[in-house]
Amino acid sequence: MSDIALAPRRACTTEARPLRAALIALAFAGLGLLVFAPLALVFGHALSDGWAASVAALRQPDALSAIRLTLLITALTIPLNAGFGIAAAWFVTRFEFRGKALLITLIDLPFSVSPVVAGLCIVLLFGANSAMGGWLVAHDMTVVFALPGILLATVFVTFPFVARELIPVMIEQGRAEEEAALTLGAGGWRVFRTVTLPNIRWALIYGVLLCTARAMGEFGAVAVVSGKIRGQTATMPITIEMLYNEYLSTAAFSMAALLTVFALLTLLVKTLLEIRHSDQLAAMRRH
Amino acid sequence: MAVLSGRLIRRSAMPGLGLSGGITLAMVSMVVLLPIGALLARGWQFGPANLWEVIHHPRVWAALFLSFRLAFLAGVANLIFGVLLAWVLVRYRFPGRRILDAAVDLPFALPTAVAGIALTALYAPNGAIGSIAAQAGLRIAYTQWGILIALIFVGLPFVTRTVQPVIEEIDREVEEASATLGASRLQTLRRVILPMLAPAALTGFALAMARAVGEYGSVIFIAGNIPMKTEIAPLLIVIQLEQFNHDAAASIGIAMLAISFAALLSINLIQIVTRARMGHV
Repeated sequence: MSDIALAPRRACTTEARPLRAALIALAFAGLGLLVFAPLALVFGHALSDGWAASVAALRQPDALSAIRLTLLITALTIPLNAGFGIAAAWFVTRFEFRGKALLITLIDLPFSVSPVVAGLCIVLLFGANSAMGGWLVAHDMTVVFALPGILLATVFVTFPFVARELIPVMIEQGRAEEEAALTLGAGGWRVFRTVTLPNIRWALIYGVLLCTARAMGEFGAVAVVSGKIRGQTATMPITIEMLYNEYLSTAAFSMAALLTVFALLTLLVKTLLEIRHSDQLAAMRRH
Repeated sequence: MAVLSGRLIRRSAMPGLGLSGGITLAMVSMVVLLPIGALLARGWQFGPANLWEVIHHPRVWAALFLSFRLAFLAGVANLIFGVLLAWVLVRYRFPGRRILDAAVDLPFALPTAVAGIALTALYAPNGAIGSIAAQAGLRIAYTQWGILIALIFVGLPFVTRTVQPVIEEIDREVEEASATLGASRLQTLRRVILPMLAPAALTGFALAMARAVGEYGSVIFIAGNIPMKTEIAPLLIVIQLEQFNHDAAASIGIAMLAISFAALLSINLIQIVTRARMGHV
């Protein structure tokens, strides 16, 4: 019975079988050429001289220092970004004020600014020949070509990630639950911890994952502000560039493979989250 | 802030106004407003006439035009392939669909420098795909084709990820109605489905293009960086900075900011027009 009813329904709301097959093949071919082939190549090139050579390249002091720096920058960026994202989402969705649209635009702005321009802005603001840079030099603090500059560049390029994931979810959730908790006498922090946080946790994790991937891999903005000092301000992506330009292919691709493993890990966690919590995440995807 | 609350901010029983507002405004000021302000101030000090002179230099002009043109072309390629991919992922069931779906996000997660050297090694004349293309007489890496491929790569997820949820929400009864009224499948797709996807697809196109205009990491390896031919605008900024020519770097940076704003603005206008024609909100 249901088969008879479904047969014409399927026929008129899908494409002919050959066309479907062709479109699926095209999807595989496109992603194969653009995504799968480069991915396979990274690991192939990294291991072309064997595991030992790869591991040895990664254990060079400069390589270790780059790995440490990248992990440090990422570890500092995540709480800054998550803290800002939560504060911004709370501010934007729980209060009515003038200029809200402008504020959201400013939060989104780093999406559409070239990373190189972002780096340039930081150099112009804190560089040795700017007003603020001169003051900093006089007080023995360096931002550009040092850790604070790299951190600021990374925070800039990842700026909207957490806030953008949280805002739509918090708009959808509304204020009723929090207002109820407040009327029942809960304090602000308690409301946030016991009412808001459980509601937004998936969106928060999702935003943090995006932020992590980008923070580890940022190149353009960091390339401009880091000064590329080997063993000091060279992050993993910067080290990849330097090794590649010196024709040290195995070393460059080994570092690239390690960075790819980090990226794939964030992707894996994200995919697992999507499979296990598809309901909660479906609500967030709508933006 | 409390002083202003009567006018600027509507009174609310919600706690945390000072804290969340304070953190938000402080971070926005320090991370976004001050740095971009520094760029604009530098350009202002340098003077509009000098700024124009820098931008009007043939090499700078060529780089800006190249970045913009290839970003547009990559956006169009992503628009077509992204809608196709979204359709295949949502509507069809086939083995490997989950992997394909996860792979769409890879360009977001994969560091651009990694993508850059991998695509270069792959599409170089001695690379796995580049050598096949070379036999057909096509050079990909170190030409504008190579830049285009890198830009398509970085923009890949945008259109698919904005269009996917829209396709998921399409009511199949609309398609049935169209079919019962005598429309062929192609007519239904073109006249019913595509207009529904248009606003989301254009948003994705705008995001992909904005990303591509400023892209640096994945492009510089594969571009070959030949002045006037395969030199992108962000690279010129880096070159100027390396020569401590901050005024020229700021001028090109301001031009790039203007281009991305103009692109986003025009796309927003297109979106408003499309939505109005569709009778949507």
